[in-house]
Amino acid sequence: MTSLREPDDLRALRPRLQAMVLVVLLALMVLLGRLCQLQVLEGEHYVRRAERNFIDTIEAPALRGRIFDAQGRPLASNRPAYTLYVTPRPRVVVETDDPGARSQTGSRVPLSDAQIDALADLVDFVDAADREQFTAAIVRRRDRDEGIYPFAVRGNLTWQEFARIQTRKDALGDWLEIRESARRFYPAGELTAFVTGYVGEITPEGLANSAGSYRPGDRVGKTGMERQWENYLRGRPGKRSRVVDVHHHPVKDPPRDALAALPPDEDPIPGQDVYLTLDLDLQRVAAEAFADKPAGALVAIEPDTGRIVAMLSVPAIDPNRWQQPIGRDQYKAWSESLLKPFIDRTVQEHYFPGSTYKVVSALAALDDPTFDPEKTITCDGYVNYGGRRFKCTHKHGPVNLEQAIVQSCNVYFYTLAIDTVLSLERMELFARRLGLGERTGIGINSEAKGRIPTEAFEAREGTYQRGVRLNSAIGQGNVTATVLQVAVLYAAIANGGRVMTPYIVDRIETPDRRLVLQNKPQVRRDLEPVLPADRDRIHAGLTGVVNNELGTAYSERLGSVVVAGKTGTAQVGALDKKNKNPKPGPIPGFDFTQDHAWFAAYAPADAPKIVVVAFVEHGGVGADAAAPIVMKVIENYLGSRSETPQPRRPGGVPPPLPGRRDKQEVLGDSGPAPDRTVALTGARLPGDRPLGPPPPKSEETGPSGHVAKTSPAPSPGRSGSKKKADKPASKKKHASKKKPAAKEVLP
Amino acid sequence: MTSIGRPRSLFRRIVQNIDWVIVTLVAGIVALALINLNSAGTGDWSGKIQVQMRWLGLGTIAAVIVASLDYRVLHRMAYAAYLGGLGLLGLVPLIGVMRNDARRWLELGDYQFQPSELMKILLIAALARYLSDRPSKAPRKVRHLIVPFIMFLVPVALIVNQPDLSTGIICSLVALTILALTELSLKSILALMTTGVTLFMLGWAFFMHKYQRSRIDVWLNPEAYADNEGYQTIQAMIGVGNGGFFGRGVRQGTQNTLDFLPYGDTDFPFAVYAEEWGFLGAAMVLIMFAALVLWGLGLASQARDRFGALLCVGVSSLFFFHVCINVGMVLQLLPVTGITIPFFSVGGSNALAMMLGIGILLSVSRSRHQRG
Repeated sequence: MTSLREPDDLRALRPRLQAMVLVVLLALMVLLGRLCQLQVLEGEHYVRRAERNFIDTIEAPALRGRIFDAQGRPLASNRPAYTLYVTPRPRVVVETDDPGARSQTGSRVPLSDAQIDALADLVDFVDAADREQFTAAIVRRRDRDEGIYPFAVRGNLTWQEFARIQTRKDALGDWLEIRESARRFYPAGELTAFVTGYVGEITPEGLANSAGSYRPGDRVGKTGMERQWENYLRGRPGKRSRVVDVHHHPVKDPPRDALAALPPDEDPIPGQDVYLTLDLDLQRVAAEAFADKPAGALVAIEPDTGRIVAMLSVPAIDPNRWQQPIGRDQYKAWSESLLKPFIDRTVQEHYFPGSTYKVVSALAALDDPTFDPEKTITCDGYVNYGGRRFKCTHKHGPVNLEQAIVQSCNVYFYTLAIDTVLSLERMELFARRLGLGERTGIGINSEAKGRIPTEAFEAREGTYQRGVRLNSAIGQGNVTATVLQVAVLYAAIANGGRVMTPYIVDRIETPDRRLVLQNKPQVRRDLEPVLPADRDRIHAGLTGVVNNELGTAYSERLGSVVVAGKTGTAQVGALDKKNKNPKPGPIPGFDFTQDHAWFAAYAPADAPKIVVVAFVEHGGVGADAAAPIVMKVIENYLGSRSETPQPRRPGGVPPPLPGRRDKQEVLGDSGPAPDRTVALTGARLPGDRPLGPPPPKSEETGPSGHVAKTSPAPSPGRSGSKKKADKPASKKKHASKKKPAAKEVLP
Repeated sequence: MTSIGRPRSLFRRIVQNIDWVIVTLVAGIVALALINLNSAGTGDWSGKIQVQMRWLGLGTIAAVIVASLDYRVLHRMAYAAYLGGLGLLGLVPLIGVMRNDARRWLELGDYQFQPSELMKILLIAALARYLSDRPSKAPRKVRHLIVPFIMFLVPVALIVNQPDLSTGIICSLVALTILALTELSLKSILALMTTGVTLFMLGWAFFMHKYQRSRIDVWLNPEAYADNEGYQTIQAMIGVGNGGFFGRGVRQGTQNTLDFLPYGDTDFPFAVYAEEWGFLGAAMVLIMFAALVLWGLGLASQARDRFGALLCVGVSSLFFFHVCINVGMVLQLLPVTGITIPFFSVGGSNALAMMLGIGILLSVSRSRHQRG
């Protein structure tokens, strides 16, 4: 204690203590000033930045619209699925007090290759390339700014994958997330593969061209309906905002200010449903008829309306396959397959129509006033012209126009071509009038135009020879057409000369059943004034093909209904031989030396309700390979039609529930379906009353009443329930004058 | 009567002599600090905060004991305690607990204790004793500085070696403040500052750890490192700014409760506090700390003797530097260091040491009018 100094020692300290007080006050002022700057003056700026931290706005995907057949059976629908999201540059939160590691906290550390590999080990890949693509997608984003956001790296996880990732999720880290999503499902599989098409991940080019309306990883329609109606099917994604923490995890009980700062949610608008004119049953019958044919196509349309009721191309790839990654080997196998499974043979590829084209030649010939269809030409089995010999199938002897069609005599048409009754110009005129050489307007699967030769075209191609005219007359040479075009052509013959625009979409509705768009039959070109009388001759010839003993398809005739049609055998086998490609393909039944087989038909012959065209690639002779297929389809279509009380109608509203089907169909039937023009969104179908009771039309509500009403009609196949049927019938009055013997009425 | 009257008079004596200004300020600061610590933690008064409260209780008892003692007892014990503290520091590299690449802790049963925190107080006491023992009128010579410099450089060297640069810096600053108040001429203060800056530059260029160097870069331009090293700085500023004038409310700060702000309980509690209490609350707590420091400096000028005055200066500057450097760091006025803010940061040893300091202030305050 003695060493302690007296208080006067303290006096020396005072000036410096006062200086220290000043320092403290100065420091306080500085801190308060800075605090004021950050909190009061610049506060708003930091509030916004805080919001950017915790507000996570995610796109709420819209459920894609479904696709239904004419009976309301789903052809494309959605199933719940899981999508894997990865954040390639996640935040790292190190629980440590170490000064070195401490500076790492909250920083964004790109995923290591080992981490990506560990994740890849949990995913089932179809091959090494698939895995490479998976890791490359993560690595690519890892080095970019957008790597801080989660992105969908793999959709449609299998249950095994889902379970595996879910169990390892916590161990791997916060950069993994599995979100619920929807996957596309095609219940009919490859049966409707080319009609529905399929969805797949958007390409980088498509993304760049979409002007921001798509996001990476979005699935878009690639082919078929999925592509054509993409804008209707996709809907509009909504936006949901949520409060997330630093790990990007949603917060259960966020602070009230955070909730108040969230932007309002926008609900997703689900896509609109597409209802097709296609009949799945008929499609299946067609596919079964094609069972032993490796490649070919079939189109069935209603001649009066242009509605497509069956549209089949074989082989096809099950569109469900595209919902999973496809191995490089598998893809290579498909793209190199001689059967070309990617090609829609109904519209995408065009072929020599062969003898089915003879109706065009016949109509063109009839247009020449000097031409006498009754005059016979003697067929010796060949004709010489320009130093070349043009062959026929065999010696037909004397034939007139009708017999030339019935027996498919080439020499008859060669002779007309030599006599210049059939000039290229005239044939081209009629071919074009009948819809060949231009797209039918169905608008799916990159439709081909086909080719109709003109002299200018031949000159340009350097293929013009005098014989071209002869070959063109029988559907060879440079004449090509798609299967759908031939169907439209025969529909025009069947309905009295109206070239219809074929359509496969009946209507589009919103999910709550409001009509968005209704297709109606469209006449593309009305040829009635051009060929009223001529049609009857052609018609007689086509009826003879099946019903005359000399007819090429006589052996295939049906007992129940009179069918009119034309066989075709496009001589490609010979061509291939010439091209030194005579080796038969390795696929059984797909022999390159064989010709393409065609059969185009309509039935019943006196009042056609259906046109069916079948094309069998390298199938051989049309009558043997293609005609039986067509007959099966016709038989099924007309058979089911006369037997079942509910006929197919264009306006049938498919029911949401199986129990409602009957009511719905009758309701739809009673509505003036064909008169419905393209309606605006919000207009309601007259028969569209899913919740209300059926209208009191007793004679139409019961199956028995229906039959009773329709049975007195002269042709049972032609149901009186269609109003639109009245118009074509009246137009055909003149045609029925020369109707062939009507013993075809159903038993 | 006497047997009854004595304790009454003792009680009265204590109550009358207690410095209620200090008690009120500290109680207020500790209460706010505990609310904030709970907010920065789990929010249900569990976990780290319970340990902190236990240490605070221990510290309060220690403060009461120190306050009730005559501080001249400290004068007698100062050197022995200082040597004991050095001994504990010397034990740390030998039997200390390794945590996150640093050996700073000694284990006492369930408690872990940092001798470096206690050393802050012991160093103040020892320096105060040495400087008050020397006659104040004696001429200032450079050689007189050798002993006090050794007195603080030895423990600082041990502490920095742990490594714990922050505590080393604080000890040096406090010791230099005491020296600047007593021994150093204005010229030598300027000279010291110059050498300090030069040494810092040299150290930055040659000796500093990379993380320490990059902190300066980050401090000058945090946005360029927003996703890595600058993250804490930026998030702390966002937190402070997000508080606005009135604050978001306790447990309602998004930066804190959603974990965007790291180290809300150690390095950045002030950012948590500023977000939830706003400018109003933050300014209030800064003024309370400043009042405590200024009150301590006032006690120094009224102290009974030089020893008591230097104790007050040491404890006041200890609080001053802790608060100033930590808040400066949060507000991006200073680079990020590990220097904590008293009572707001978790850390049992620190709370205990700070409470001891408060006890010393109370003790000096109690005897300030009893001259001689």
